[in-house]
Amino acid sequence: MLFENMKMAFAALRANKMRSFLTMLGIIIGIGSVISIVSIGDTMRSMFSSIYKDIGITQSYLCIGYWIDDVRESDYFTMDELSRVKEVFGDEISYIDSSAAASADARADRNRLKINFTGIDYNYQNVQPVNILYGRYLNKGDVAGRRQSAVLEAGSARRLFGTENAVGRTFRTEIYGNVHEFTVVGVYEKEMSAFQKLLMGGTDDEGEAFIPWTLLTWPNDSFYYCHLFANETMSTDELNAFYDELVSYVARMKNREKEDFYLQTALGEMDQVDSIMAGLSMAVGGIAAISLIVGGIGIMNIMLVSVTERTREIGIRKALGARTRDVLIQFLTESAILSACGGIIGILLGGGIVFAAGAVMGVTAVVRPGVILLAVSFSAVVGIFFGLYPASKAAKSDPIIALRYE
Amino acid sequence: MTEKGKLRQTVFAGAAGLKALAVRKTELPEYHTDELIRIVNLCKVYDTGAVKVIGLNNINLTIKRGEFVSIMGQSGSGKSTLMNILGCLDRPVLGHYYLDGIDIAALEPDQLSLIRNRKIGFVFQSFNLISRMSAVKNVELPMTYARVAKKKRNERAVELLERVGLGGRIHHMPNEMSGGQRQRVAIARALANNPPLILADEPTGNLDTASSFEIMELFSALHRDGATVVVVTHEENIAAFTDRIIRFQDGKIISDMKNPGPVSEGKTKNI
Ligand SMILES: Nc1ncnc2c1ncn2[C@@H]1O[C@H](COP(=O)(O)OP(=O)(O)OP(=O)(O)O)[C@@H](O)[C@H]1O
Ligand SMILES: [Mg+2]
Repeated sequence: MLFENMKMAFAALRANKMRSFLTMLGIIIGIGSVISIVSIGDTMRSMFSSIYKDIGITQSYLCIGYWIDDVRESDYFTMDELSRVKEVFGDEISYIDSSAAASADARADRNRLKINFTGIDYNYQNVQPVNILYGRYLNKGDVAGRRQSAVLEAGSARRLFGTENAVGRTFRTEIYGNVHEFTVVGVYEKEMSAFQKLLMGGTDDEGEAFIPWTLLTWPNDSFYYCHLFANETMSTDELNAFYDELVSYVARMKNREKEDFYLQTALGEMDQVDSIMAGLSMAVGGIAAISLIVGGIGIMNIMLVSVTERTREIGIRKALGARTRDVLIQFLTESAILSACGGIIGILLGGGIVFAAGAVMGVTAVVRPGVILLAVSFSAVVGIFFGLYPASKAAKSDPIIALRYE
Repeated sequence: MTEKGKLRQTVFAGAAGLKALAVRKTELPEYHTDELIRIVNLCKVYDTGAVKVIGLNNINLTIKRGEFVSIMGQSGSGKSTLMNILGCLDRPVLGHYYLDGIDIAALEPDQLSLIRNRKIGFVFQSFNLISRMSAVKNVELPMTYARVAKKKRNERAVELLERVGLGGRIHHMPNEMSGGQRQRVAIARALANNPPLILADEPTGNLDTASSFEIMELFSALHRDGATVVVVTHEENIAAFTDRIIRFQDGKIISDMKNPGPVSEGKTKNI
């Protein structure tokens, strides 16, 4: 019986193809936009979380609070202190440095290039791996001996020396008033997704290089930041507990209150970005959902027209023995099919848009099954809710009046 | 109506719709009497607002099983009004109508649907076929509502169409057929659930003489097979097919008598 009702409903809808399609269009657009908007949001979130994973989700920076007025000399970190922190939290910390960086002009032969120098420890390769093309990475000796060794990014090497294989070549630069002559010990290659490049912007005219962090010290060997990577194996809870202990320890060491220190974590930042994006995509998706209700009203409108148009048919059916329920189900089936078909096309359309956009931008699109389920059930509810009034109007009509209808 | 009233009506209509879904079974009381139709002091008044029009004025009538009756009368005399009540499409204002012993006035709309489906085959002047559906699907419709299985339904529909001489046109759409052919589809449809009572309100009103006689031959054959047939007509030569002629005027029966003419076969040739 259900199958027959559906066949009958399809026949009735096919008799008015254009009208049925236009009616569905409201639902198609509604479902399509809800799914594509929410999925675009989800895709962005997953992209951001993968970017955070790339730059190290366990990464954090600790420094004296920017709100502290009476900053003392002792609020900065010394190399000894960093070593002590690393010793105390040996199990938790996998890498530590001062996050020292400098930007300076480098000269080799007749070429000049502005290079952003990042001061690192020898084991930075463990937490932020790069692909070494020529030569080697910085080693313990470079760092401990404060040797003027540099690992140059491939593009920078090409621009500075005319070749990527610049191992053994030298360049001069002046950092913090000291003239250095660096020897290139290795050349690395940077890998970035299209989207990452888009986000990072066009820093292509500036070069990049790693040098021993021991070269980038302030006077008295003190640092503003304590920059560390925690163990990747830690859970979020463990990580948060560790952060808490770390700040307490540093505060005690510095004779400060715990609240005087500022800890910026990649985890916290990611959570923040994620919750903003989630809220945004929910809000826009909610606005799109309003179009579903408009689509539902479209269905109701067309079903009312259809009921009026087919008054005589309804009269005939009733004269032949159709009960209230038979007519009700007939019209409900029609409106349900309208919204179900609209829903399915909308899902295909919305999903298609997201996957196509993802393919164009070179990212993996994320379409959550939950979103599809929600959209489908919403469109079913819309179809039945807005179909109920026209259907019951048809079902209750008096056969003699309906038959006399011209 | 106020906006609020309209809204309330909408909500109630929706609720009534849900209720109708919940009601599953409709039962009929079972009686069997010799009198298929019994009408007692029946009145029908149309309330058109300004004036009240009397459709039927105190009718008393009994029709036995197996009778072949024609109803005649001037335009506006109340023939269709009576037929609609006999067909359970409309309700009387006063009086009683017993069909097969069942008091129709006491029934719910869905019970009336069931009566129309099982006990009555209605043939209309304007055919009233569903134009989107083929002949065979139209004939199947009453059986669909009687929940007859698909295969059986189709077999019976084909058989009925063959019986009314349309065996070669079962898949034609109504608008691909002549008036006479459409009316024969309608008759086949009226016979679908093998109802005891066949009602036809001016079934030949839109047809030429030859098709009219073919249709009446069909009714005669049904009558011979035991059906009770009531036909409304304006034409004496159509009424001549029947055994009993009831004449109406101003909503009243003015005469009710046996057909004086020779009953049955060969009538078409005499006229
Ligand atoms: N829906 C209605 N509303 C108001 N008055 C009606 C309605 N239907 C019929 N009438 C009136 O009832 C009276 C009987 O009408 P009815 O249709 O029964 O006549 P009839 O005998 O079938 O006529 P005809 O031969 O023209 O079909 C007429 O006066 C008509 O105007
Ligand atoms: Mg009439």
